[in-house]
Amino acid sequence: MIKRFSVFIYWAIMIALIALFFTNDYGVVDIHKSAIIVAVGIDPAGEEVQVTAQLALPQPSQSGENVQYKEVQGSGLTVADALNEINSKTGFYPRLQFCKLILLGEGCQQHELFRILGCFYRRNYSELTALVAMCEGKAQDMLAMPATVNPETYTAVQRVLSEELAKSANVSSVNLKDVAVSNYSESEACCMPYIQASKPGTSQSGGNGDNVGGESAGGGQGGGSSGGQSGGQGGGQGGGQGGGQSSAQSGGSSSGQSGGEGQPVDFTARKTAVFARGKFAGLLDEQQSFAYNILKNNIRLAVLPCDSEGIHYTVGLKNTTGGVKLKVKNGVPELTLKFKANAQIQGVKKVMQPEEVMYDDVVQKNVLRGAEKAVEERFDALIKMCVENDCDILGAKELLHKYNHKYWNAFRGDLLTRMKVNYDVEIISHN
Amino acid sequence: MKISVRQICFILLCYNAVSKMLLYPTVLSHYCGRDLLFAALIDFGVQAVVVWAVSFLCSRTDKTFFQLLEGTFGNIFARIIYGLFALFFIAATIVPLCEQKLYVHTIFYDTVPSLLIFLPFFFFSIYAAGKKFTNIGRSADVCMPIFVLSLIFVFSMSVLEIKWSSFMPVLKTPVKDLFGGALGTVFRFVEPCYVLMFMGHFKYKKGDAAKMTISYIGGALTVLLFLFTFYGIYGDIAQSRQFAVSKISLFFPAIDTIGRIDFIALYILEIVMLFALVLNIQLALHCVMKCTGYQNRAVLSLAVNAALIILLLVFDHGFNNLHTFYAKWMWIAFAVFANAIPVLAWTLRRKER
Repeated sequence: MIKRFSVFIYWAIMIALIALFFTNDYGVVDIHKSAIIVAVGIDPAGEEVQVTAQLALPQPSQSGENVQYKEVQGSGLTVADALNEINSKTGFYPRLQFCKLILLGEGCQQHELFRILGCFYRRNYSELTALVAMCEGKAQDMLAMPATVNPETYTAVQRVLSEELAKSANVSSVNLKDVAVSNYSESEACCMPYIQASKPGTSQSGGNGDNVGGESAGGGQGGGSSGGQSGGQGGGQGGGQGGGQSSAQSGGSSSGQSGGEGQPVDFTARKTAVFARGKFAGLLDEQQSFAYNILKNNIRLAVLPCDSEGIHYTVGLKNTTGGVKLKVKNGVPELTLKFKANAQIQGVKKVMQPEEVMYDDVVQKNVLRGAEKAVEERFDALIKMCVENDCDILGAKELLHKYNHKYWNAFRGDLLTRMKVNYDVEIISHN
Repeated sequence: MKISVRQICFILLCYNAVSKMLLYPTVLSHYCGRDLLFAALIDFGVQAVVVWAVSFLCSRTDKTFFQLLEGTFGNIFARIIYGLFALFFIAATIVPLCEQKLYVHTIFYDTVPSLLIFLPFFFFSIYAAGKKFTNIGRSADVCMPIFVLSLIFVFSMSVLEIKWSSFMPVLKTPVKDLFGGALGTVFRFVEPCYVLMFMGHFKYKKGDAAKMTISYIGGALTVLLFLFTFYGIYGDIAQSRQFAVSKISLFFPAIDTIGRIDFIALYILEIVMLFALVLNIQLALHCVMKCTGYQNRAVLSLAVNAALIILLLVFDHGFNNLHTFYAKWMWIAFAVFANAIPVLAWTLRRKER
């Protein structure tokens, strides 16, 4: 019976499948009706969070790429609530698959980090590849600031968090995965870059070569080499108006204005915000951040200012190897910060003699010792900060748990204060 | 002969591996943390021995498992056992089927998470389940090369992100959790039953038992490598990452620039996953045919798939409860059907080759 009708059944199934195939929209998204969230800024507002989403809005164009960027704001008790509000304003399903940057406002320092970030780790809401950073002032203000290097804020911020910059020890870029893995490790500490905006054409002086930024875009004291928190409320020209849609806009090649009347700003991320047990523990200044970066990142070329015999040198460090080791010797935990590099002179604060330049790769011993001393001083400052704030960003507890497990219960409580710290710094001449 | 040894080897290698790439790594990370490889090793070790025992039994007889049962205990008993095996294969399909549905909804069609999106799978299933062992073998021939290529693609995008230190310190997980993890995930291991069902349907040559066992071990090593990659990338937060196969290649630098090119490999692997899933349904149908004596494959395929659709509808919103039940209790059924019965098959009366 079935064999008799098999041809008809076959054709019926084929027609049904063809009908199914041709009645769908082939998964095509009308690009002109889409709004893709490329960055989000999060600011706490009392018990609520305000989320500012930077949206990429593809525009019809006769030639080339043309994308408008707008900021839309939502708020709620959770980030998901706020994103839902953004959804209702944009008319587009707010999945964060294309979100490449999560910017936490300074106000997040008062809150549990993973109460705010938790939403991004749940289910398949977003991938853990998005970069995370904290910014000076409000995130919504920073996202609305136009940048000098790029019309789109999120791209400009991404530039200062780039992998290339991380390879020069100028930033400690982290993504959502890195933050969670560090925070939920035995060390219970994590860090993220701290972004500051400064007016273009200005620079802070007096940092012995570590000058960063300059006059704060918000009018306050920006950058500088102090370890403390600077600037206060940054930005503020454009910004999302509470719950509404901000006027920020930048148009692909047309370099549209963002933040309306705002002046373009420079972004820097040479400071680092650190967290212990999910709570903000302080800021690493430029020198401490440099020390952290040369230990944790894969460095290609780092620039180190140092002094030797009263002369200031700028030394380039290549072929670097850095790392942290922990061993327990005679019942005392010993943390060793190891750093090796080849040095070449990049700049000297004295009149250049052409016949001396050819020997720049042959660095004198006194300069090498000066460079080693500068590195050790930075390590010292970093360790001091970690101990004072009980913040194990170097992962000493994790090293104890992983490689000295039998001492875990003995030292887990007060390892940072009990451990002896050694420096193994060796900088040799490039040639 | 309906199926070749090569094809069985492919099944034991690639179907074995792809069936453990969605939630298995997440669940194992939850139970055993950084020692998940050892829990997996326990399961694979036991199953490899059983696979060897069954494949070696094939060297001692030309009869099928049904004929062995019939020759020892009579036709009625053989039919009852095959009826129970049919139920077992259906039971072994439910969790992977629900997993597949969730995977398709979450990764491929996240904005339209409707059951209707997944139901077309049953067009394929009804068609494929009605096919004979010959087609099962041909499917394995097709799946093996695309499995290898797509897996190389995914692994090569993931390898740089692995951190060896994620696995330190070794073997500090309590033994109870380790064995709990091994027992709680044992319902994903049905490969010895495949060999048992294929018994007598292929021509055994000297050394084939070793080939089959090595293929199974190859599949096991692939899964161990996969678990190593997954946990090596995510460390202690691995248990919060579902559908592992779609998560390991995310950190490949080029993805930021050119988008999720790993989806090419994921879609290809999905084809292999569907064939692996359908194999259970095909074997359930084979057992129902032997049990009932009814030979119309089309009708039986409709019936078996209708039962699975009903089960899928029932558990549409109860996957967590279903999974908990399987993890807690179903190891008993799997210990009996996938381990004890295949080994006890040696005690059946057989005509020596």
